[in-house]
Amino acid sequence: MQITRKTALAASVALTTLTAAMPAAATDITLYRFFGDCEGEFGGVTDLNEAYGECGIITVLTNKFNAENEIGANVITQTVDWGAYYDLLSATYSTGDMPDVAVMHASQLVNFTDRNLMTPLGNKLMEAGVDVDDWADAARNNVTNNGEIYALPFDIHAILFHVNVGLMKEAGFVNEDGSVRLPSSPEELILMGKEFEEKTGQNYIAIESQSSEGMAVRMFDAFVWQQGGDVLSADGKEATIDSPEGLNAATLIKQMYDEGLTDSGLDYGGAEQAFIGGRAGILVNGTWGVNNYATQAENGAELQEYTALDFPTLYEQPATFSNSHSWTIPMDESRTPEEEEAAIAFLKFLDDNNFAWAMTGHLPVHTSVIESEEFAALPHRSDFAATPSMARGIPAVKNERGIYDAMISEFTAMWLAGTSPEDAVAGMQSGVERILRRNNR
Amino acid sequence: MTNRTPQRMRRDGRAALIFLAPFLIIYCVFLIFPLFKAVFISFHDWELAGGYREWIGFFNYEDLWYDDYFWKALGNTMRFAAMAVPSMTILALLLALGLHGHGRVRAVLRSVFFSSSVFSVTVVTLVWQMVLSPDRGLIAPIFRSMGMEPINFLGSVEWAMPSLVIATLWWGVGLPMALFLAALGQIPDELYEAAELDHASRWSTLRYITLPGIRHTVLLVLVLQIVGQFQIFGQAQLMTKGGPANTTLTLVQYIYNTGFRDWQVGYATTIALALFVVMAGFSMLQLWLGRKGDDQ
Repeated sequence: MQITRKTALAASVALTTLTAAMPAAATDITLYRFFGDCEGEFGGVTDLNEAYGECGIITVLTNKFNAENEIGANVITQTVDWGAYYDLLSATYSTGDMPDVAVMHASQLVNFTDRNLMTPLGNKLMEAGVDVDDWADAARNNVTNNGEIYALPFDIHAILFHVNVGLMKEAGFVNEDGSVRLPSSPEELILMGKEFEEKTGQNYIAIESQSSEGMAVRMFDAFVWQQGGDVLSADGKEATIDSPEGLNAATLIKQMYDEGLTDSGLDYGGAEQAFIGGRAGILVNGTWGVNNYATQAENGAELQEYTALDFPTLYEQPATFSNSHSWTIPMDESRTPEEEEAAIAFLKFLDDNNFAWAMTGHLPVHTSVIESEEFAALPHRSDFAATPSMARGIPAVKNERGIYDAMISEFTAMWLAGTSPEDAVAGMQSGVERILRRNNR
Repeated sequence: MTNRTPQRMRRDGRAALIFLAPFLIIYCVFLIFPLFKAVFISFHDWELAGGYREWIGFFNYEDLWYDDYFWKALGNTMRFAAMAVPSMTILALLLALGLHGHGRVRAVLRSVFFSSSVFSVTVVTLVWQMVLSPDRGLIAPIFRSMGMEPINFLGSVEWAMPSLVIATLWWGVGLPMALFLAALGQIPDELYEAAELDHASRWSTLRYITLPGIRHTVLLVLVLQIVGQFQIFGQAQLMTKGGPANTTLTLVQYIYNTGFRDWQVGYATTIALALFVVMAGFSMLQLWLGRKGDDQ
């Protein structure tokens, strides 16, 4: 008995000495994100020069933070498939298993902040040394609700026209100074599209046209905004889709399909393949593709001479669909101060590396980065320099995903099920009204 | 019989209860309680995250009645079940008839046809997306070799639902086939021998011996299929996401969207209860029809 007690005492003394001699225990924090999993390629990489693409850059940034931070923080990444991301994140609030850091589209933020599910971050970020006044207004507004900052904005991403300059030359749409000529009115879009197809034998435009991404809805939104309209009232309480502007935009997009300017059978991957394979002059897709397509074009894809241009203004005022990736700290009463400190440190680190993220093609949020020479030196950035000022989103509204899905299913019916533009806008209007009816209760 | 004293019966009753207890507890905790809880939730505006709950009486039920998406999803689900249940039953029966009996080839084929059932829905839908894709799919070259433009199966209003049915058949035919095989093994050989002596045709044998011999299994398969196919979710969610233009939006998918995308658990529960009523109704009808057959 005595021996046992002695042994126990000795063991506990030894343990205490050992623990005291060891550096502070690592604080593990969980990171919930989409952008894909590329541990295989970038698992151990901490050199940002080796990283490319959204997945590569965020993975390397995380590795670098884990390797270099001095507070013993260790970020454990949980990658979630994009399609299920928000469903899973929402469900963690029911299970009590909220992550310490989660990526979030600015358009989704209001769902969480309105229900007090996000940690207010303004003061904490400023205390950590984040210069929030250097954020571009659009980015800062995206993450602010009732005057409080709830997230760290990481980018502004917007829809562009990705262009195959080789095919444009063939069609005679390149000016003497080498710039590509894009349409400036709805009529011109159709005329140029037809001429392009006659001269090159390829589709003028490739765009995701199935029921998943809603790329055509983003185009629709942009055309509505360009006419001075909107799809929702400014307070987000009423749908305003069934309007003359909405009908104009829907009619134009329907005409694009009817005239064969684009292939209605393309899904997201199909549209990308058609563009990279040199079977389309223009790909309608976001800033996130720039880095990828430029690399493909350099590596000998059928895509000859790639460039990315601002979404064209076909009506009175410029506008393009945009959103913003941001980093949040979900509200969790059980989070320790050390874990929160680690989470804030990670956010600060990401903010410091805003330029690295801009290499994907996304627009940075820091005005100092936007105006920097190193950003201007990135390929093609000057070709879509007007995009930050054109970037728009729908007014902040709860259940934005439901609204977006309702619009997609009614809108795509125009070319998938042959409904008229009138029926499509009426269908979108009533689908969105249904969701708003719940929101407004 | 002489031992059946009241004490003995009470003791037997207690013993039965003890033996049944594990099942009853699980049944109550995981089925009865959630069912009543669901009814309770359906009278609330109950959000998935954030703890917002408000008693709203019959508002969810009223909303359901006027919800076009609900009726559309119900119609789609019934259309799917109407295609999948009979075709699954007939296909499983035909396979079982073909593969019933001895022989190595049959044994191997039985395993082959059953093997697709072990895949998860993710794998199955991925495989079928690869098969059906109009530009990179397995059957696209077949269309092109015949000088035709490949059909965009999953993006077409006419073809999307049948495509889901085909993927479901490929995936799910194993279990009903196994049930039919087991039932066929139960039919006494003497009956077939007698039929042979009477020079009965193969058709007569099938009609008067085989089918009556397995009719309870047919009924079981039909009920299982109705219950199963009414709950179709994974295929529609992963292959078409309910599209094109909501033509493959199914009820469970709508429940999922309402609960997890829109966070309206109260309303989602109401739709789930409606689905429960529909499924229970069809299953009862099926059982009743089967019993009516027994009485005759």
